[in-house]
Amino acid sequence: MTKDEDAGRYARQILLFGKEGQETLKHSSVFIAGAGGLGSAIAFYMAGAGFGRIRIVDCDVVESSNLNRQILHAQADLGRHKALSAYDALAGINPDIEVEAVVERISEENVDDLLQDCDMIMDGMDSFPSRYLLNRAALKRAIPLFHGAISGYQGQATTIIPGRTACLSCLFPHAPPPATAPAIGSTCGIIGSIQVTEAIKYVTGKGSLLENRLLLWDGLESRLEEVSYEPSPSCRECRAGRKKSKLKIS
Amino acid sequence: MRISMPDGSRKEIAQPEASIEEILRSLGISPEEVIVAKNGRIVPEDETAGGSDDLKIVRFVHGG
Repeated sequence: MTKDEDAGRYARQILLFGKEGQETLKHSSVFIAGAGGLGSAIAFYMAGAGFGRIRIVDCDVVESSNLNRQILHAQADLGRHKALSAYDALAGINPDIEVEAVVERISEENVDDLLQDCDMIMDGMDSFPSRYLLNRAALKRAIPLFHGAISGYQGQATTIIPGRTACLSCLFPHAPPPATAPAIGSTCGIIGSIQVTEAIKYVTGKGSLLENRLLLWDGLESRLEEVSYEPSPSCRECRAGRKKSKLKIS
Repeated sequence: MRISMPDGSRKEIAQPEASIEEILRSLGISPEEVIVAKNGRIVPEDETAGGSDDLKIVRFVHGG
């Protein structure tokens, strides 16, 4: 901790993981994929917690239909790029962290550049093809992927750690049919908060992560359940990864 | 076999051993839209279930 005000800002969480834990957060660099419903909740809490560098990427502009849940953005941001609106909001929450806002669509072509120097990936995407892209990137770079998704009152979360857990494609071998998901802000808040809690625990080495466990939130019934999963022998991504590793070794 | 449906309702059916995919289709559920936990663990569609197994059918979500 270098500044007295830092110690004040983080006093309540230093009670949880000490100044060393806070210092580790400060030196962590996170990639937030998307500045929508999930991305908003994720970014707010990561900025507040003092993750030292946040790179948030989104290509869309703020629309009025976003404002029920995308808490990074306000009425005055309508028509602005979400990434830039996110930058302003995050800089306002915590001016001591470094925020990079990137207005781009995440693709096979740019994902390597976008992830440069990032220690973890936060999933705030709204489709499975995009998530498979993040999963492949996480496997390739051997960095964790904190998955979350929502629809209406329902949500799910899990933590993918390459080399330690199954990957996202093991768990979800096929994408669901595309559809516009209904959404309320509170579900985004619940799932995004779980993702950030996972990331904090991962960085500070506390507690048990959602490794090979899928957490399922049913807001209609106010019920939280979990199911376990394991690496799939037929996974197209993990198997491909193992083949590449073998080729490198030989 | 006890089955927890995607809407949270529960069914108990006499089911001879069959693949998860066959069971889903017999329930009118598209395998593409769900994942299935057998006795608390997610299993692939070609795994079989029956007898006294517990199945939980989860309609996973994709929004953000």
